[in-house]
Amino acid sequence: MALWFLRGTRRGVVTTTYPKRADPSSAHLPTPPTFDSAALNASVATRMVAVCPSRALELEPGALILDRGRCTACQRCLTVGAGVGTPSGQFEWATREPARLRLSFPLAGGA
Amino acid sequence: MNPTVRQPWELSSAPPRGRQSGTGGALAQAGDELRRRSSRLLGRSLQIRTIDTGSCGACESEVKLLASPHYDLHRLGLFFTPAPRHADCLLVTGPGTLAMDHALLATYEAMPDPKIVVAVGACPLGGVFGPDQYSHGGVVVPIDVVIPGCPPSPLALLHGLLVAVDRLAERLGPDLRTSGGPG
Repeated sequence: MALWFLRGTRRGVVTTTYPKRADPSSAHLPTPPTFDSAALNASVATRMVAVCPSRALELEPGALILDRGRCTACQRCLTVGAGVGTPSGQFEWATREPARLRLSFPLAGGA
Repeated sequence: MNPTVRQPWELSSAPPRGRQSGTGGALAQAGDELRRRSSRLLGRSLQIRTIDTGSCGACESEVKLLASPHYDLHRLGLFFTPAPRHADCLLVTGPGTLAMDHALLATYEAMPDPKIVVAVGACPLGGVFGPDQYSHGGVVVPIDVVIPGCPPSPLALLHGLLVAVDRLAERLGPDLRTSGGPG
């Protein structure tokens, strides 16, 4: 019998039960951010847009736009805007309509 | 089969996409019906052909993991095939470099209908490279489903492939802090 089978059995290697049940490893995946609009102002938003390497963040009048399709989850924006954003924790982003990946976060105090 | 245990192909709760209004309503409904029929055809055994249009290789490493014992995509009726003639699904990675246009289009044309195109990663959505003299910054064939991520994890790929055949619902919400989490 192949040794790899015995080793795999001994180490408890099992196939994930996803999608029936959540996979424990999903909690450790890097995920795009989500922002707290109450703490998001134009100054912080401008700095976050400047550090985004994948053009996932855009500044529009009164709002910060996050394109989750372009985001590479590098988390540079979370470093610049500490306390404003957190990783979303969500990894299931597949969609038939890419426009739904764009999120708008209103800035506190408007533009 | 135990009737209390839901099989993977019974997990889909994806409602028909809402396109009720507008001048193209009837056409959109016909399109949705065609998509549902295609999904029924492909839902239990999907043959996947991958094509790299200039990616860094990160997406490929994740796609490769789908066939590993932990993720084991075969249990879901998903299989890789090297032949586009045998493929139902085209898994496209990379930003769509001009040099790969011919290969991509030839592969797409070689696939029999009905076929599904799944774009993988941030590159096909213009996230890493914009349009320039080397790439389109996107995919030049019609895309059915996108799986964002840089790279998307194997779990995200599994979710996306099952969304593509209507076996899982999309999980996008207005604010994911209020969602029920993965699962």
